[in-house]
Amino acid sequence: MLSIVVVGLGGLTALLGMYYAARDLNADLVLLGACALAAAAWAVLGVALGLKDLAGGNPPERVTLYGYLATALLMTVGGGWVGLFERSRWGSLVIAICAAVSVVLLMRLEQIWPGGFA
Amino acid sequence: MSAKSAKDRKDVTSTGSSRASNPRPSNPERPERTGRGFEIVLIAVYGIFALSATARSLVQVLRDFSFAPVAYSLSLLAAVTYIAVTIALVRRGRGSPVARTLCVAELVGVLIVGSLTLLDPALFPDGTVWGVYGRDYGFVPLLLPVVALLYMSRARRSGPAR
Repeated sequence: MLSIVVVGLGGLTALLGMYYAARDLNADLVLLGACALAAAAWAVLGVALGLKDLAGGNPPERVTLYGYLATALLMTVGGGWVGLFERSRWGSLVIAICAAVSVVLLMRLEQIWPGGFA
Repeated sequence: MSAKSAKDRKDVTSTGSSRASNPRPSNPERPERTGRGFEIVLIAVYGIFALSATARSLVQVLRDFSFAPVAYSLSLLAAVTYIAVTIALVRRGRGSPVARTLCVAELVGVLIVGSLTLLDPALFPDGTVWGVYGRDYGFVPLLLPVVALLYMSRARRSGPAR
């Protein structure tokens, strides 16, 4: 359920960023807001998976799991940061790329620890 | 979009990145002057690859290096290359000969390692970053240096204009 929210927000941010880049728009509060929501969703997902781990969920590869979580959160925030200081269509494209890669990371996460998303 | 909020955010970020490597004139009235253009996309993608290749190669090397030493060493080489290109692009920009040389080396590396994984699979009991021309990463490792080199040569010919 939570992962659907993350995919939805990440996908939305990616599509929105691509649209902005295609229309030669720099990131405004709508795109940055979508990016922030996606980052927040990743943070909530990270906490949820961490709690599941503490409760004895026993993920198979802890290092990879938390590495991916940290990377996804860092990348979403970093994409938004680039969109802030690069005031051109390319800043929007960076947000789109970061959001798209974070969606791919989520799919890999679900492969690594299917139990975490059950 | 309000111009005021954009200006405020500009101010916040310019103070936040005061230790940037190449000090640019801080002129909040004309933010387009500080832009890097398409270069920022290259930096972002190279940064992502630097991060993921480093993480993957470190996990591979630290877990059991002897299982596939060639594959793991080549992962490490790919990671170092991505880090070097990222740093060169951030510090020297698209016109720098260093960045171009590194991209050529990267392309050669992808081609050699990709061919090697196909010609001699026995050398690779486990995957490597540039294996089968970067198949694990949607072949972006093969595409990335080509795009970067084309962009650099175009930027070189047309000068500072993007």
